Amino acid sequence: MVIVKRKELSLLERLYLPEIARALSYSFRALFKPKVTRQYPEEPLPKTAVMRGQPRLVLLEDNEHLACVSCGLCEVACPAYAITIDGGATERFIEREPVRFEIDMLRCILCGFCEEACPKDAIFMSDEVELADFSRAALVYDIEKLKRPKAALQARIDYFYGANDRWRKRSSTS
Amino acid sequence: MSPIWVWILKAVLIYGGVLTLAAGMTLAERKVAAWIQWRIGPNRVGPWGTLQPLADGLKFIFKEELVPEGANPVLFRLAPMLAAAPAMLAMAVIPFAGEITLFGVSTTLSIADIPISALYVVAIGGMGVYGVILGGWSSNSKYSLLGGLRASAQMVSYELSLILAMLSVVVLAGSLDLRAIVADQSGSIFQWNIGRQPLAFLLFVVATFAETNRHPFDFAECEPELVGGFHTEYSSMKFALFFLGEYCAMIVMASMTATLFLGGPEVPYWPEAPWFAQLAAFLAKTGFFLFLFLWVRWTLPRFRFDQLMHLGWKVMLPLALANVFVTGMVVSLS
Repeated sequence: MVIVKRKELSLLERLYLPEIARALSYSFRALFKPKVTRQYPEEPLPKTAVMRGQPRLVLLEDNEHLACVSCGLCEVACPAYAITIDGGATERFIEREPVRFEIDMLRCILCGFCEEACPKDAIFMSDEVELADFSRAALVYDIEKLKRPKAALQARIDYFYGANDRWRKRSSTS
Repeated sequence: MSPIWVWILKAVLIYGGVLTLAAGMTLAERKVAAWIQWRIGPNRVGPWGTLQPLADGLKFIFKEELVPEGANPVLFRLAPMLAAAPAMLAMAVIPFAGEITLFGVSTTLSIADIPISALYVVAIGGMGVYGVILGGWSSNSKYSLLGGLRASAQMVSYELSLILAMLSVVVLAGSLDLRAIVADQSGSIFQWNIGRQPLAFLLFVVATFAETNRHPFDFAECEPELVGGFHTEYSSMKFALFFLGEYCAMIVMASMTATLFLGGPEVPYWPEAPWFAQLAAFLAKTGFFLFLFLWVRWTLPRFRFDQLMHLGWKVMLPLALANVFVTGMVVSLS
């Protein structure tokens, strides 16, 4: 058993009023303190490369083709079954490219497993975090909504290489 | 006697002003809360959020009205009206300013000048407890009932100290007329009752907090224990009416404090002040006490119920009685 020894209050403290006046003066000064509110849509959150936003597909340097070869590893790695890939043939050197690449953003848990699984550095967690729409169907993102020029994801790519340099080499195709 | 249209005009203007002030108080409450917590507060609706009360009001009107199963249908609907009406009725006798002459018509800036106006405010204000307890009882919910019971116990206990504190002022002025009490304090700033009756002032202010169910005595709607207190089951405009009543009661109490202890519409060292200066002085004094309500709310923690009863019956009531006794002795001996 623990007996808590409470501090004996002095007469002034037991009278309440001086203490109330002290508290009031404190909260009155707080009225004029600089505000900590961030006005969110106008004043966006600070973003860092460490943060995992929504996954996005990287475009090659030509800004036209995806780096993705539709190997399906991210689809397998995804713990939320959010990714759906249909592969197809292509005349390009890599021979395969995704015909359909969909991420159901409502299922995605932003874990970043797809990014780690990808052998072609084709998918990265972007710094985009805003996710709102009027229908569920609109939140299943297809290639058109997912593809991003490499420059937009460069900060994350650099961070990712830095973090994983020990066991990972840059992909030959990107 | 002024013609009838003057009375109607005064009633419309004063009630319009009071209701607007009550709406403004809802915004002020959120703004002051935000500032004290280093936040900004509502600032999206209108410039600096000034149209927020309007948006809230519109939303309240369009919300669905729910009547819980097993609730007493008549009393459940009657309670919000009973909560809002007395507070607004009490506004009728508050002297906002003295003589006013506009377009050749001379009148006083209060809806009614009755010789027992202080008594009237207390009597009407005491009826506010009906709305609270009926609202709590009729909604067929244990939390509402407990909130209503607590609120009524608290309002009844603190009403005694409130009235006794008021009584010592009445004894000094020798009249129950608020105008006479104001006239009694005219002259210099040292003539104000806050200087002549500091204890009564303190007791009155503390009691107004309990009377209006405001922090630190807001047991009626003690969220962590009672969900929402007596208005847990209320929705839509009925819910808003309870709040309108609360804010109107705050305005009445703040203006009563200003009238009884700060000379009401008296402008210090300017006995011949025109009516608008008097009105401004009155609003400034009332505004300070309204701000005090918000200020205290975001400063002090809530009391425990037994502490509240202890304070009300064992501390404030004896002090108030002793104060009335001493005041009466001094007045009768001098």
